[in-house]
Parts: sequence; structure tokens; C-alpha cells
Amino acid sequence: MTEVKVKKESTDPVDIENRIKELCQQFPHGITDQVIQNDMPHVEAQQRASAINRLLSVGQLDLLRSSNGLLYRLKDGQSASKVKGSDNQEKLVYQIIEDAGNKGIWSRDIRYKSNLPLTEINKILKNLESKKLIKAVKSVAASKKKVYMLYNLQPDRSVTGGAWYSDQDFESEFVEVLNQQCFKFLQSKAEAARDSKQSPMVQRNSSFATSHEVWKYICELGISKVDLSMEDIETILNTLIFDGKVEMTIIAAKEGTVGCVDGQMKLYRGVNPIIQPTGLVKTPCGLCPVFNDCHEGGEISPSNCVYMAEWLDF
Amino acid sequence: MQMTAQEERLCGLLLQEHFGEVVEKVGTHLLRSGVLNLRALVHETKLPLDLVKKSVCVLVQQGMCSFSAGRRGPGAPVEYQICCEKVLHMLRYPHYIYTAKSLYGDTGELIVEEILQRGQMTMSNTVSTVADRLTHNMPEGQCMDYSEVVTAFSRLVETHFLQRSPSVTPAGSSTSGGADSNPPAVTQPIQAETHPDCYKLPYINISGKGKRRRSDDGDADQSTAKKAKTDNSEFGDEGIYWQVNFERFHLHFRDQAIVSAVVSKLDQTSSEIVRTMLRMSEVTTPANAAFTQALSANEIFRALPSTYNIARPILDQYLTLLVDDPMEFVGRTGDSGGGMFVVNLHRALANLARATLESVVQERFGSRSARIFRLLLRKRHLEQKQVEDFAMVPAKEAKDMLYTLLSENLVQLQEIPKTPDHAPSRTFYLYTVNQLPTARLLLQHCYKTVGNLIERRLYETKENKRLLEKSQRIEAILASLQATGAEAEQLTEVEEMITAPERQQLESLRHHINKLDSSENQVDETIFLIESYIKSTKSSR
Repeated sequence: MTEVKVKKESTDPVDIENRIKELCQQFPHGITDQVIQNDMPHVEAQQRASAINRLLSVGQLDLLRSSNGLLYRLKDGQSASKVKGSDNQEKLVYQIIEDAGNKGIWSRDIRYKSNLPLTEINKILKNLESKKLIKAVKSVAASKKKVYMLYNLQPDRSVTGGAWYSDQDFESEFVEVLNQQCFKFLQSKAEAARDSKQSPMVQRNSSFATSHEVWKYICELGISKVDLSMEDIETILNTLIFDGKVEMTIIAAKEGTVGCVDGQMKLYRGVNPIIQPTGLVKTPCGLCPVFNDCHEGGEISPSNCVYMAEWLDF
Repeated sequence: MQMTAQEERLCGLLLQEHFGEVVEKVGTHLLRSGVLNLRALVHETKLPLDLVKKSVCVLVQQGMCSFSAGRRGPGAPVEYQICCEKVLHMLRYPHYIYTAKSLYGDTGELIVEEILQRGQMTMSNTVSTVADRLTHNMPEGQCMDYSEVVTAFSRLVETHFLQRSPSVTPAGSSTSGGADSNPPAVTQPIQAETHPDCYKLPYINISGKGKRRRSDDGDADQSTAKKAKTDNSEFGDEGIYWQVNFERFHLHFRDQAIVSAVVSKLDQTSSEIVRTMLRMSEVTTPANAAFTQALSANEIFRALPSTYNIARPILDQYLTLLVDDPMEFVGRTGDSGGGMFVVNLHRALANLARATLESVVQERFGSRSARIFRLLLRKRHLEQKQVEDFAMVPAKEAKDMLYTLLSENLVQLQEIPKTPDHAPSRTFYLYTVNQLPTARLLLQHCYKTVGNLIERRLYETKENKRLLEKSQRIEAILASLQATGAEAEQLTEVEEMITAPERQQLESLRHHINKLDSSENQVDETIFLIESYIKSTKSSR
């Protein structure tokens, strides 16, 4: 009869779990597997793992990944109680959604991460939604896609589109109005500088406006229902640059001056185009939609062109 | 010389309009075939030999056709070749004449007009013809003195707007091993600029006044004409022919375009500074240079026109602003003499070409498409999403606009696969705009447009041929009646032969033709900018 080796100390699973919980309380930032091993060297790896898994499944322990391995942290009581009464799968899904932060996560991605079948996922999601633990937010990138995130989180800008979107609709009019207002402000500043008849260098410098000035002007105008940040205004000013109406310079500025970001300030000013509309576009051919189909002797030709006829009689 | 279909069509139309159908036929065959000898040309055009000869003569006289020894060796027949570029210059004749007028007055205008019409002329011939024309327009009793015309002519030559036509010298090294003592009757033309006396005025013994051409002293005219003919050969410039130096005019146009761009972007004073700089380096800058020679701020200050009385430090400020401007019209190359500055010619041309492209997109497709176009020019390569974000255009509209621009070849799509199998879901699709190919495309559009305008003009004239002929007949009758002192009643009777609606039709026709004409000139401005830009990229490689 072989003697069964009996360990000297008790290796009761509950004891292990309690000991782990105590260690977690000792180290609120989290403990690694190594710490548990050092504390209870007699406990085998398998027992350790099963204890940790049990704690995780009842939601008393949080599993985190750090740069040098896995960390176990005691979950605070409140969130632990929240998911009480839900089964493991729901807890898993909830965990995944929580991890996605305020960017939210798509249902298909949840499926990949949890390896649960689609029907189960949908059931769980509906369940969690009814419990008001998570919510669905429509993503602005793909209007059919819904991302899920925790109920009380503010969705990230990339999902809602930020200041330019209201309810998934791009506010073109709003952007247009802002565009025009910014341009008018810069244009009047440039004109004032030109009329001041000072030396050319002073004239040019006074025609510049920092992005901060433009931002202040727009805020004071009060045409925006939402709060616009300076970066928002800068994106509008960039569209003016692409319209060819405005040019930008960057100057170094002392930290702390108003509007300074990272030691730099962006200056904008209204400019004139360098040419008038070019000769080609003053003819009907320059704007003709069927230009490529037109040739002498064809159905569309210069001789029978209706656009030409209209233009000639103008 | 490769030529596109549009260029060929336009050349054909221009040749027909200026020289008639026969020359047009000969010219287009030469254009298409490249190089031909006389026999082959006759064979292809199926025209009689003497007509072909005359047409080729006309084209050579106009400087559009060049000839060279046969490729198959000496003794082979002479081969002829047409320069498409020269033919297309005909589109720009009004601009050349107008420039001459603005620089040198009516005299300059007529000189350039005459030489353009005849291709090449001697100085004495030009002077007498122009003097006669000017005298004709002067009030009774006044005459234009030859010396005034000579002055204008000299100034045109001094500023290189006119140059001596390249003389034709016999082919140098003759046939080796040729027992035949007759040298081949092939002559080789040389480039105008290589002639050392290219801009040297000959000494001519010419004096006198312009003769008024009267319709009633036809006999007297003939005798004086005979006398004038014999006088001509005594002027001393036999064989020295002058032609218009197109390149010089082009440089002038380029300078004008740059100066007006500076006016639009900055202000009048800055443009005067740039104009001064360009003027100072007119003769010292080689033809296709990327920038003018360096000028010091001191020199510029001294050379400014006296009407612009600005202080030296202010000039420095203007120069600094010109250098700092994003358009980079002017560059700073050194610090001696108060700062050395150059005008960035190639950069300016590229900017003008880019502005032209943007203008076309804006007018044709709208401001938002123009925004996307400019965005792509700046940022080079962008994905669909990035285009939407930067341009702040809703996704659906942005997609629509990009696809339209893509179908018109103004925008290109670049695929960058992430995986070797080029699967669409794992490939980056980047939109991009390439300025040079797009400019070439636009140039072809311009050629086609001018061709369309010319054809419409011909059509309008043809449709109203009967009416035009009637109107001409009536005018001739009126003129002869007036000359013979007819009474007012008779005149009105004749005038009324054209009914009111016909008069209106004629008026509308005139309006149409004028509009089409001026339109051709406007499109030619676009053509000039883009051609200059394309040429500048060729040399800066």
C-alpha cells in the first residue's frame, strides 16, 4: 500500500482564495502570480490557477495585463455586486464591453473575443441593456453598425463624429456658416491692415490672426449651439486654406501666451487668388458636360451645339 | 515630332483660314507623315506639282516648314518637315500685334503685322509699306516720314522682338568620293540665333515719305510704283530678311503673367519691383532658365522707376515679403550688396499652371470639388476617409465628387496592397493628383476647344453666306455711288435694299463672330500658360 503523501499545511481551496484576496488588499495595485507563489510556496500551480479562476468568475478579482505579466487586482465591491446574479457568460461579455472603454465595441468583435455563439451574445446583450448596464450607440462611420459601451460612459468623438455631427448627420450647413464667418473675419482684418497705409511689413503682420483670435470671435458670435474647441476652428480654417482663400504660417511662441500650443502658434490671413478665372472656362466648351462626345459631323458638334447657340445670343 | 489628333485638327483649321485649302491639304499631309520629299508629297496629296511647290514655298516663307538634305544620303531629294508649334503660333498673332502696339505704338503694330503676314521681309520693304499704310490713315496733307518707321523698326530689333531670318548656306562638306563636280543643289538652313549679326541693323539708304494710295490716280500710282520698285534695289539691304522672334514675345508674355499674378496676390508696388527685376535681367537670362540672374538690392533700388519713390528700407521690406510669400515669386540667394535676389521663373510658372487647373475644376465642378482638388494637390496622397475629414464634406457627396473627378481623369487612384494577393479589402486606395499629366490633358482640351470655336465661326459664316454677299454688294454699290457724288435719295434707296430683319441678322452675326474671335484669344491665354509650364518642366530635369 502506497502511502498517500499528505501535505503538511492545509491546501483547502477556500483558504487559498482568501489568502489571495488578502494579498490583493495588501497590494491594491495588483499582484502577480509570482507574489502568490512566494506567499504560498506549497501551493501547486494548478491549485493556484483554479483558485484564481474561481475568484475571477465570481467577479471578486480583476485580471489585468501589465508589461511583465498578468496582474490580479481586487475588484471593488460595487461593481462586483452589479453583475451579481448574472451568469458567467454575461459577466464575460460585460467585461469585454467595459474594456472597450468609450470607443465601444461591435457585436461581432464581442463574439470573437468571447467565442460565444451569436444567439447567446444577442440574448446577453439584450439582457444587459434591459438592466441598463450597457447601451448601444450608432457609429457615424457606418450607419448600420451599432457599438456597445457601458451605460454611463460618454461616447468617444470618433464614434459620434464630434462637433460636426448631430445624430449621425453631418451638419453641412453649420460647417458652411462657420466657414463663411471665419473667412469674413480674416478678410476684414486683412482689409483693415491694407487701409492702414503703414509700412508693408506692419501691414502684413497685422493682417494675420491667430487661431485663438478666430476661435474667440466665433464663440462670441454665438452661432454655435455646441461648444467648439480651438482645434475645431482650426479644421474649419484648414478648409478655407483648401478653398484657396486663406494662408497659414506657424510661428514659435512662448509657452503660456494665449493660444499657444506646444510652443507654436498658427496664424491665418485672407489672401487673393493669383489669377482670374482662366480663359478656357469662359467658353461653353470649357464647362461642357458632353465635351468628349463632341466632334464635327457627329450628333453633338460645334455647328449644332445648343450651349454655343445660347452663349452666343447672350 | 509627335502630334496629337487635336493639334493636327487645329493646325489644319489655322492653315485653311490663313492660306486656303490647297496649302491646308499640303500642310496636313506633311504634319501627318512627318518628313516627306516633294515627289512623295505630290503623290499623297494628288495635287498638281506646281500647286504643291507653291504651297511649300508659302510654308517655308512663313517659317513653318523646314527642309533638309535627304536622309538617304547626299543626292537624295530634299525632305520637308512642318513644325507644328509654329503653325499653332498663328493663333497668337493678335496678341503679338497688340503687344507691339502697346510697346511701340501704331508704327510698331503695323511693322509686326506686315512681317507676320509676309513671313519674312527686308527692312526697306517693311518701312515703305508701313509708311504708306500709316499715311493712308492720316488726315489729308500729312505723310508719315520713313525715318519714324525706321526708328520703330530699330527699337524692335534692339529689344530682340525682330530678328534676321536665318540665311541659307550651301551644304558644307560635299560628297566624298564624288566624281561629279557639281555640288548637290541642297542647301541647309541654320538657326536664327546662331547668326552673329542676328540683331544687327543693316545700313540702308532709305529716306522719303509714305505715299497715299488714292483710288482715282491709278495711273500716277503705277508710275510711282514702278519708280519705287527700282528704288528698292538701291536701298542696300538686299537679301537681309527679318522675321518675328516669337520666343522673345513669349518671354514678354511670361513676364507679364508673373507681374499680374504679383499684383493680384500682393500689391502694385511689389509688382513694380518684380517688373523691374525682370526688366533688368531681360537680355542676360537664358531662354529656359529656372530663375533670373541674381540682382542685388542696391541695383534694384537704383533701377526702380522714378515714379516709385520708396525709401531703401521700405524696399528691403517689400523684398522680404516677396521672399516670404508662399508663392515664392522671389528668392534670396545671397547677402552681398544688401541681399541678392532672383525671380523664380519656373516656380512662378508652376504656380500659375496650378491656379489654372484649380480654376477649371472650380468653374466646371463647383467649389467643393475644387476644395477636394486643392486638398489632393497639397497633401499628395489621401484615403477616401481622409478626404472627407479634411474637406469637411459629407461622405456621400465626397464620394460622388471624387468619382466624377476620377472619370474625368483629373484625379488618379493609387493602389497600395497590404498583402501580396492584392485583395481589395486589404488594399489602400489613395487618391492623388499629378500636376504635369493633368496639365497636358487640359492643354488638349484647350486645343479641342479652339478648334470647336473656329468651326462654329466657319459654320455661322457659311449659314449666312447669302446675306453676307448681299451686304457686301450693297456696300460696294454705295461706295461707288458716293464717290461719283450721288444724291441722298439714291443712297437711301440702295440702303433700303437690306431689310430691317436682315440688318438685325447681320448685326447678330457680327456679334457672334466677334464673341467667338475674342473667345479664341482668351483660350489662347490658357494655352500659353500651360505650354510654358510644360516646357519649363522639360528643361529642369
